[in-house]
Amino acid sequence: MDDSFASPGIDAPSPTLSARLRELADYLGAPTAGRLTEEQRALSLGIARRLVADVAAWLHRDIDADALWRDWLRGGLPGAERLAATCFARGEEHRWREQTMLRGAAPSLVAEPEGGPGEDPAAIADKPLSDIERAYLALRIADRRRFDGLGNPCLAIADLDGELFHALLLDVAAWRLVQGGKDDALAAELRDAVRTSFARHGAERGIDGAAQAYHDILAASAALPETAATAIARQDWPTLVALAAAAHRRRYGDMALALLTAEAATLPSLLAPLRIDRAALAPLEASLAMLSGRAIAGGFAGEGPE
Amino acid sequence: MSERIIRGRIDRAGTLVSADAPLLRLQQRAGGGLDRPLALPNLARLVALAQRLQRDISRPLYAADDHSDIHALVRVLPDANGASLEISDWRTRAMVQPQVPAIADSAAAPTGWTWECDQQLRMVALRGAKTMPLVPAGWEGRSLSELFELQPDEDGRFPVLRALARQAGFDGQRVRADGAEGARIAMTLAGEALFDATGRFTGFRGVAAPVEDAAVEETPPPRIDPVFGSLPLSDPQFGRRIDGALRGPLSRIIATAETISGQFDGPIRADYARYAGDIAHAGRHLLGLVDDLADLQNIERPGFKAAADEIDLGDLARRAVGLLGMKAEEKGIRIDAPKVDDKMPATGEFRRVLQVLLNLLGNAIRYSPDNSQIWIRVDRVDERAMVTVADQGQGISSDQQAVVFEKFERLGRTDSGGSGLGLYIARRLARAMDGDLTVESAPGQGARFTLSLPARDVG
Repeated sequence: MDDSFASPGIDAPSPTLSARLRELADYLGAPTAGRLTEEQRALSLGIARRLVADVAAWLHRDIDADALWRDWLRGGLPGAERLAATCFARGEEHRWREQTMLRGAAPSLVAEPEGGPGEDPAAIADKPLSDIERAYLALRIADRRRFDGLGNPCLAIADLDGELFHALLLDVAAWRLVQGGKDDALAAELRDAVRTSFARHGAERGIDGAAQAYHDILAASAALPETAATAIARQDWPTLVALAAAAHRRRYGDMALALLTAEAATLPSLLAPLRIDRAALAPLEASLAMLSGRAIAGGFAGEGPE
Repeated sequence: MSERIIRGRIDRAGTLVSADAPLLRLQQRAGGGLDRPLALPNLARLVALAQRLQRDISRPLYAADDHSDIHALVRVLPDANGASLEISDWRTRAMVQPQVPAIADSAAAPTGWTWECDQQLRMVALRGAKTMPLVPAGWEGRSLSELFELQPDEDGRFPVLRALARQAGFDGQRVRADGAEGARIAMTLAGEALFDATGRFTGFRGVAAPVEDAAVEETPPPRIDPVFGSLPLSDPQFGRRIDGALRGPLSRIIATAETISGQFDGPIRADYARYAGDIAHAGRHLLGLVDDLADLQNIERPGFKAAADEIDLGDLARRAVGLLGMKAEEKGIRIDAPKVDDKMPATGEFRRVLQVLLNLLGNAIRYSPDNSQIWIRVDRVDERAMVTVADQGQGISSDQQAVVFEKFERLGRTDSGGSGLGLYIARRLARAMDGDLTVESAPGQGARFTLSLPARDVG
């Protein structure tokens, strides 16, 4: 990190001291603003780590993502400011969904049938999907790509803003080049890999594409308000965020963060394009109100100044 | 705390004639409906009692349906034509965790594929561990039974299809699948059922573990318990799940035993009704223990912090009396509560302070002699707002006072009155709210428990 913060009389501060002084300066600049909780820090860091590993794997299968992450942890993540909003939005969305999962309802008990067609593999062969069902399935698949194999939150490469992805590719490639001794052949190989990866990324259709398709097909069938209201009743937040994002032509992550940082009074206007009945917003308001540590306008919900 | 009041109306015949949505939903899940008899035994009993006494009754309501446990505060207001219901602080808790939690990063990576499908077994996620063959391309949206060739078990059944019919977890489903390189792989599937917030089944999530050779096939696959998964005992999730797993069955045992004991479905022999009353009593004790353990786990986790609501200790004391007044009356105990204009503004979490006061008042009622008196006073000393609960019980010696706030401490009592966690939890809660809970007592002179919290200046 080259932008160290030095206090008068302290020469050559360590990165740790520099980081602490910077944090203290931020704190003194706004002492009453809520700070990140440890959970929020940990979530964002985990999301960033998984993203870096995924980008490295996209660029070249042989890149040692663990070594890369160790180096970046020591020296600081390049483009940390670019990453912060994206990782924070995903982390906050995850906290919200996890809270819903933990507080949510449980299965209805269904009597066990005695054999019958319910256990015939042929009986569950593909039934034709309606266009709406297909669009919803695509949205669900896009959403599940935002978790790793262990169920931890991550960012799908396809969902990344092109500029951020490109910057990350270049940063990873630069690290790999230094690791490889700045070899010319390696440099050329990495240049090609960056170009190919970026082109591949452009062809990917992430959650924003899936959200737009689902929104459009619902709008065409005049089923948008009902579906959005049902998503709220079921606390199916990814569907609600996707529909709201598509309606506002915003990215999914931006919309999630907008909802998560909104005061209750502004929710109706945020969701106005979905034409949901005001009363149907109650579960959303309640769910957001229960989420501690939200960075809402005018304070940090659920936490006092630290 | 939810300030929303859920209302309902019962006519003289015990028929639910109007109800807000949550109450109506509960009635429907219990097999009733509008213009049909109230199908919730606990509530029906309270209504009957209020009508018989012709006085308002406030009680905690514990109800369980197939989806969840419901805790609320219910107020029954009888009149000449029936009774009105006002239900507040409606809280729903899941009976079991509805979804597989994320596995900690530090945990060992799964050795197979992790997968998820929707309620029609269409694949929505498939990922492979590094050591596994790559997942086949084009899996998105394909049927699980198409992607994995299902093999029947010894009884000719397919665990996954049986689980689909039951909307429950499964394991031991043998399958064969094609890896990305075209190799045929023998695997075993295990999965958890997934549900949304309304209890609607939304699919399965699980692991496909490879079966490498005969020796491996003979080894039974790691069993994933449908409730506890494979979590170690030390994992906080384990506690939460055991809480959920016990609460539902216990609530149903209590509700059923109370129905039998109350002879709501017709008269039975008096001794049988008494046995059912004993079962309900024991069930309530166990449920209280589960509540305490759940609280204990919650407040002992690092970083536990209570909310800083603007509260009035006088108001909370009166609410506590409203909730436990009937219990005191049963023993002929008179409670001298703060007057309506006795206010004591303080800062603390509304629900938690009420919980502490209910614990103190409940103990005072439980351990006070019949026809005695309990005093509740609010006071302010400097920056501390205080509420004191004093009784005429047998008192606590100084030795006992030193340990009364310790975990599982019941001062040698062996009755089924409590878990020995109540005061420990109450003090932890008080301290989490920057307050404290103290006791003054002497044998034969009753006990005075004082909850102090940061005082709040008004106006």
